[in-house]
Amino acid sequence: MPTPSDLPLPPAAAASVTLEHLSKSFGTFEVLHDVSLSVTPGEIFVLMGPSGSGKSVLLKHIVGLEQPTAGRVSVDRHDASDPTTREKVRMALVFQAGALFNSMTVYDNLALYPREHRLASEEGIRDKVMRALQILSLENAAHKVPAELSGGMKKRVAIARALVMEPQLMLYDEPTSELDPVMSATIAEIIATLKEQYHVTSMVVTHDRDLALGIADRVGILLGGRLVFLGPPSALSQPADPRVADFLNPRIDLQNPRFKQLET
Amino acid sequence: MQNPQQTARVGLFFVLGMALIWVTFETLSGGKLWFKDKGYEIIAGFESLKELKEGDDVRMAGVKIGDVARTRLAGRRAEAVLRIDSDKKIKSDAHATIVTQGLIGTGYVSIDLGSDAADYLRPGAEIRTRSTPDLNSVMAQIGDLGKKLEGALGNLGSAFGGDGKSPGLLQKVDQLVAENRDNLRQTTANLQQITDKVNKGEGSLGRLINDSKLHDELLAGIAEIKSGAAQAKSFIANAQAIVDQVKAGKGTLGTLVFDQKAGDDLKASLASLRSVSDKLARGEGTLGKLISDDSMLRDVRSLMKKADRALDGLDESGPITAVGVVANGLF
Amino acid sequence: MRPLVRVLEGIGSTLQLLVRAASYTPTLPRQFGRFIEQCYLIGYTTMPIVAILSFFIGSVLALQSGHAGQNVGYKQFIGALVGLTMARELGPVMAAVLLAGRVGSAIAAELASMKVYQEVDALETMNIPPARMLVLPRLAAVLAMMPVLTIMADLVGWFGGAIVAKYTHFISIDPTSYFANLRQYMDFSDVLNGLIKAEVFGFTVVLVCCNIGLNTRGGPREIGASVTRAVVTSLILILVLDFFVTKALMGD
Repeated sequence: MPTPSDLPLPPAAAASVTLEHLSKSFGTFEVLHDVSLSVTPGEIFVLMGPSGSGKSVLLKHIVGLEQPTAGRVSVDRHDASDPTTREKVRMALVFQAGALFNSMTVYDNLALYPREHRLASEEGIRDKVMRALQILSLENAAHKVPAELSGGMKKRVAIARALVMEPQLMLYDEPTSELDPVMSATIAEIIATLKEQYHVTSMVVTHDRDLALGIADRVGILLGGRLVFLGPPSALSQPADPRVADFLNPRIDLQNPRFKQLET
Repeated sequence: MQNPQQTARVGLFFVLGMALIWVTFETLSGGKLWFKDKGYEIIAGFESLKELKEGDDVRMAGVKIGDVARTRLAGRRAEAVLRIDSDKKIKSDAHATIVTQGLIGTGYVSIDLGSDAADYLRPGAEIRTRSTPDLNSVMAQIGDLGKKLEGALGNLGSAFGGDGKSPGLLQKVDQLVAENRDNLRQTTANLQQITDKVNKGEGSLGRLINDSKLHDELLAGIAEIKSGAAQAKSFIANAQAIVDQVKAGKGTLGTLVFDQKAGDDLKASLASLRSVSDKLARGEGTLGKLISDDSMLRDVRSLMKKADRALDGLDESGPITAVGVVANGLF
Repeated sequence: MRPLVRVLEGIGSTLQLLVRAASYTPTLPRQFGRFIEQCYLIGYTTMPIVAILSFFIGSVLALQSGHAGQNVGYKQFIGALVGLTMARELGPVMAAVLLAGRVGSAIAAELASMKVYQEVDALETMNIPPARMLVLPRLAAVLAMMPVLTIMADLVGWFGGAIVAKYTHFISIDPTSYFANLRQYMDFSDVLNGLIKAEVFGFTVVLVCCNIGLNTRGGPREIGASVTRAVVTSLILILVLDFFVTKALMGD
């Protein structure tokens, strides 16, 4: 069985990501407020935060699916809101729900990108697709359609599909939710291997603390649309900011008035 | 994704559809939409184009040979420019007529065959035309005809009916015949004489009958008159119905026969018939001359030809116009 | 004011989608598989219902005009009447209406669900424009299939009329004279006219349904709303366009 070190990737220059004073509002609701950060080529950046803190929206800005209300997002110094940026920099986004093409088999889902961009012959595409499927233990699912797969399998197919794209920048939206610990470890291994062997830049949005601490070069924490922490994972053991501490080590206080209400 | 069976079905479906479109095209337009035969144009001038409009057919002996390309006013008349298929030739002595078909007023231009001897019309030339009474005037004439018939038959009815005070029609006729026996005998004798002459081939009429070519023409003419008569038959049937009505409705005796004056008139006309036949026998008067004099022959011939052509026109114009022509001829 | 803005937005985004899809036309040969797949859905699987409905439309046309005309004496024109009405009006309109109901709704539902479940987003991040992969093959397929559907609707309608004309006691016109009359008063340009109309309708229906599907926002509940909107918009557009296209084709 191939290991992540057999990833079918050619060496490509890793991409950098820069966010300058990014703000985003939907109507009057401000999702992101003045977020600035930069991810250097080949780095693994983990973005943490509770649900609804704007992590996914931030990722969508980087691939150009959302336009900033204020500020600027650039990938390799190209404006991310410009559709041609996608032609210049190969970016892959692993959606939280997978976003597989429901009308196609798993195999065709993976083969779509190289076929559409005519990156290889049908033989070459077959090679790449089968290797990506093997890495994620999906050989038996190749000819199933997404409707026949469990949530975790869909997530793995989505990651496999991103791998086949041979990206310079990988974006993961909750890659390990719905996965068992063994598969979570494999995902972590894939992310690390991509960095070590191919120098791929990765941004991982997660609230899996073990994953974050295990692979991250740097960690950012979003709370209510504001970046409240930015630094190496080691700095998280004694966070200066009490809000960060609360997020990382939530205390279950049964004396909390909220729980009292439930009892009555 | 690409499944050979599906591809084959779609291919078959598409080919079938295109074939159907082609068949429809061939059936409806005879393959003349994109490579439309430009043909050549001739001009036909009419007093009025009536219902004729662009795109209507031009037919020769019922066969479509072209269509009406344009219609226009030219001075005091209307002109129709006819586009004729390039492989169809028209004799220069052919005539064009506008035929109205059916009551809703679709029309076409009918062109007759012309004579064998004549040249062909050149493109751009003008064709001779003949006007036919249009539907409205025919209708008006039929109306008049009806009224006149009614009046005439009313009189007739009273003549036949009588009112019991005086002798019946037959008696009256008997009496007339008895009184005029001499005259009648003489007339018959004269007629006999004329027939003899004719038999021997004397005079124009004799020639006319003995000349076989003329005879054929006459026969053809009579055949055509017959077909005309058949069409008139239904018309006569209607007249019969009117007569019946008159008969049934009116009980009074006819004044015509009763009237002494009418009787006198009849007598006088019989007398004049006799004098006419006398004259005929002697070769006096026009008809007499016709019988005795060879020089009339040519005139008769030309007359026959004209009658022939008129009958052609009659045939082409269809039943409604035929009734119109018959109506015109009657009054 | 808001409805008006929405209508204008709809028109604008539809035209944008058209321009984008058209700009990918050179990629059509390598999307042949998708083109065939869409042809199959739009043409082949829609044909039976089109045939059945146009048969009855033709029949009822013959029946109604025969009934109305039995005393007036124009029943010998039934062939021309059914022929012209089917070819110039009802054939194309019926084909387009069925296309909207059967294919348009399916397109709107499929694209709306792709949008809601982020498949469209995934395509965009993969630098595969949805206009190229999802819209262009459908537009090309409808252009190829619409004439086929329409000519079948026409012919089946004519035969439906012929059968009714023969076997209805107050009409009883032989198919021979029915079709002779039809041929006398019809020209291929009448049929061509209908085919052009059908192309316009079919293209519009597919384009509008694609656009409404791709512009779906929100959760799965919005898929149903998009389908309804797509079908209603298509039907309205068919009838409105019908008037203008007919007028334009008459050349006034």
